[in-house]
Amino acid sequence: MITFIKRRPYVLFLVPGIILYTALIIYPIFSAMQLSLYEWNGIGPKTFVWIRNYVELFTDDFLMSQFTNALGNSLKLFALTVFIQTPLQIILAYMVYSKMKNHRLAQVTIFAPQFISTPIIVFIFRLLLDDNVGVVNNLFRMIGLDAFAKPWLGVPELGIFFMYLMITWGGIGVGMTFLIGAMNMVSVDGLEAAYIEGAGFWTRLMKVILPQIRATIINLILIAYIYAMTMFDFSYVLGGNTGGVGGSIDVMALFFYRIAFGDSNPVGGKISSNSIGMGTTIACVLFVLIFAISLTQILYMSKGEEDR
Amino acid sequence: MHKDLRSPSARIIRCIMLLFTGFNIAILIYMFYNSLRPRTDFLTNTFGLSVNLTIDNFIKIVVKDGFFRYFLNSFLILAGALILSILLSSTVAYGLGHYKFRFKRFWKTYFLVGLMFPIQLSIVPVFLITKQLNLINTFTSVILIFGSSISMAVFLLTNFFANLPHEIYEAAVIDGAGEFRTFAQIMFPLASPVVFSMSILTAVNIWNQFFVPLIFLQSDSKKTLPLLVMKYTKKLLMTIDSAFAVSILATVPILILFIIFSSEILKGIAEGGVKG
Repeated sequence: MITFIKRRPYVLFLVPGIILYTALIIYPIFSAMQLSLYEWNGIGPKTFVWIRNYVELFTDDFLMSQFTNALGNSLKLFALTVFIQTPLQIILAYMVYSKMKNHRLAQVTIFAPQFISTPIIVFIFRLLLDDNVGVVNNLFRMIGLDAFAKPWLGVPELGIFFMYLMITWGGIGVGMTFLIGAMNMVSVDGLEAAYIEGAGFWTRLMKVILPQIRATIINLILIAYIYAMTMFDFSYVLGGNTGGVGGSIDVMALFFYRIAFGDSNPVGGKISSNSIGMGTTIACVLFVLIFAISLTQILYMSKGEEDR
Repeated sequence: MHKDLRSPSARIIRCIMLLFTGFNIAILIYMFYNSLRPRTDFLTNTFGLSVNLTIDNFIKIVVKDGFFRYFLNSFLILAGALILSILLSSTVAYGLGHYKFRFKRFWKTYFLVGLMFPIQLSIVPVFLITKQLNLINTFTSVILIFGSSISMAVFLLTNFFANLPHEIYEAAVIDGAGEFRTFAQIMFPLASPVVFSMSILTAVNIWNQFFVPLIFLQSDSKKTLPLLVMKYTKKLLMTIDSAFAVSILATVPILILFIIFSSEILKGIAEGGVKG
């Protein structure tokens, strides 16, 4: 045994990591797949039902309507990131990268909300948007636009956009900082050549920098996709277990939580006696949704490794 | 090179960025000011100037609610998980990056796959495991969960160790240092810049974690900061004075730390992002 390890010193370095990583990251995925084939609530009898949970999820009107609604909202969050947040991050990063006046101050204050926890971010936006004590409504009333004063956060159609505003306010800085890091790696020679040829400020961003930071942008978009599929806290803090009025801000991870852990399970009856079974079923569907996309990332990353 | 920052579009964007900066600072001041006001004062005269500022709200949060216990809870979880993930990821990465052996490719991919498995998806089995081990409602469970998500860190560090010149290792071995001492005293310190930037990213992530503590830490005395905050912000107007005070207490110390170390932190995150 000792000579085995003496000859293979790497074993000692690998074993602790492999044990914990396997037990808490890899094994649970297979365990979830297995559990999704049972009808079980964690305490009572455990019956093997083959794929009936999946069939039920996709045929039961009540579950399916929640599923499509939550998936739609998650995809909306993803779309908002791709079409609004990422371009915004690129512009912000480029301004900081170009060392505009006060760029340090701007970078620090834009990043700072990252350290504010979700319930506080929600609280801050309530203070801004509340009907009675909200700053926005009081500004409207002050300038005589009483008609515009609304309980903003109570409008279901707007819920997801306000939630997205909060997510962006809290989290825009990380991606921006990633992009600044990537931009700093772009060689200055190419930029100078473009400058001498007369390429303007934005042309240099579009023609020289963007092509070279493509990998970081793709990476950010993939992170955004996984985030949209697993984001839980904003929906939960803003809308509770049900994800707001009529599920207006319900997302996939909250739907999963509600079925698997929701203590005041509104579904009741059949589902709450099958909380573990149906919960893991939803988790597995979610897993497939993430797997399909992020496999490309893994392949991309290990390809990058071969190139080295 | 930078003089065309004077172009109108760049100027407008810069103005917007500075307005946004001002907005963020104003929010902080607004929160701080209101945390010093009694509840009735805020509710009856929301935007007026207050005459009777007091620190009662803070006293209530600190003394009656034992604010620092929640702060300590969050901190213990962060510290524990950070140390565990640094230990695990640096040893695994060293094993994978430094040594040559069969099936190395397999193990590299094996550790990378974790990127596809966000903890939310596997939380039910993890919950069942921790229940069996009697670890529900303990910090150990949360620390183990956060500390085992090492995929990204292993990826970053493996590349670092693989690219270290082999001569460093050989010199240490000739000097008579064992495998583990070589790692602990020579190789790991060399990696510390990468470890630092990786730890910053991990720390930001863990500090803001909401989902896992919500499920695993059920008793009041074990709760983390975000969960305490939620107790007061949930019913907006009933407890708004405490909500202000707890928000300030939970945010300001971290922000001060961030501002002091901002250049290191931002640099670390920028570098971690490039390699990821």
